[in-house]
Amino acid sequence: MRITLLNGTPADARYKNFELFVEKLAIYLDKDRHTVTNLKLRNMDIKYCTGCFGCWVKNPGECLIADDSRTVRREAINCDLLVFASPIIMGFTSAILKKTMDKMIPLVHPYIEIVEKECHHRKRYDKYPSVGLILDKPTDNRADDEDIAITRRIFERLSLNLRSTLRLVAFDQTPIEEVINEINHI
Amino acid sequence: MKLTIFNGSPRGKGSNTKILMDHFCKGFDAAAAEVNTAENNLKVNVAYLVHTDKMEEFMELFEESDKIILAFPLYTDCIPGIVKFFIEQLEPLCGRENNPDMGFVVQSGFPEAVHSRAVEKYLEKLTGRLGCKYLGTVIKGGVEGIQVQPPRMTQKLFGSFYRLGFHFGKTGAFDETIVRELVKWERLPGWALVLFRLLALTGIANMYWNTQLKKNDAFDRRSSKPYQGLF
Repeated sequence: MRITLLNGTPADARYKNFELFVEKLAIYLDKDRHTVTNLKLRNMDIKYCTGCFGCWVKNPGECLIADDSRTVRREAINCDLLVFASPIIMGFTSAILKKTMDKMIPLVHPYIEIVEKECHHRKRYDKYPSVGLILDKPTDNRADDEDIAITRRIFERLSLNLRSTLRLVAFDQTPIEEVINEINHI
Repeated sequence: MKLTIFNGSPRGKGSNTKILMDHFCKGFDAAAAEVNTAENNLKVNVAYLVHTDKMEEFMELFEESDKIILAFPLYTDCIPGIVKFFIEQLEPLCGRENNPDMGFVVQSGFPEAVHSRAVEKYLEKLTGRLGCKYLGTVIKGGVEGIQVQPPRMTQKLFGSFYRLGFHFGKTGAFDETIVRELVKWERLPGWALVLFRLLALTGIANMYWNTQLKKNDAFDRRSSKPYQGLF
């Protein structure tokens, strides 16, 4: 399976263990039977979405800003499993990851259609990857189960917008073999 | 009461969020004109979070306000990246004494409120984390077209935001009746789903996008797949 890992960990000592977990997971998955592209977002030049909709009405399918989000989109649409990874900061994944999520809209079409009795954007591509989410379970009261439930719900919505399903939610406390096993069953 | 509106739209002063909040501010100012005295001074400030280099200034504004309204467009059924960046700057203020009361305005292009419910939960939890009193979340869908719609189509919406602002000026809270009216549809009713499918068949449903695509000479490329099969 082709796996793209979007690692949204900020450069902060508090999140070092989380990042180690994500790095280790990437290496183990790659050693297993998968092809892993591990993108460390904080080292990439990704500009904020400006809401110009140029990716829908001027240069359909592509962001007008020539930044590294082009690599992210290329790797995201051509994989089987797209994994978002971030520690929980102020109740949600990092701003680094969020701005990258915003830059996914060129992957869908501006037209609206009815999906599950709701308005959603039409697919631009024939196939979209399954979605995975890796979070931390902080021991320092930084996040609780409610934060995790809210974050999970927002990623279920993001997956639906990408016309896909959230198939994996894992934590840095989970034994790595269990996470790999879960991924192997997707 | 000192109110600060943080406009979280990446479009900044060109945003639909600004248009809605301008009407809110007009209502707020009208209330201020009625009640302002020496000891009861109503004032509203607006800050644009798109200026991500001004975070220190924004934090000061946050600290010295009595009320905050964070208004933004829905991005991936959540807050835009710039808003998350701003919220992360507020981390040191968690649990500070006398943090301002905080309310939210979430606007989106989707006609139904259901898209905004997940982030609403996030926003409520955020106020608890900061130790701010939660003033509620105004959810308004179907906003994307307001800059091209004729005044008769936007009159009611703008009037609602004016009244929302007026009430906020008088009471420091959102008027629950107006908040409920603005939601209009939690989910699309059956007849609207049928109607939408018909409009989609005729192309009317996508007229807004087609007009812009044609204007940019991009209509023929509207479904292009620049990353298809690159591996």
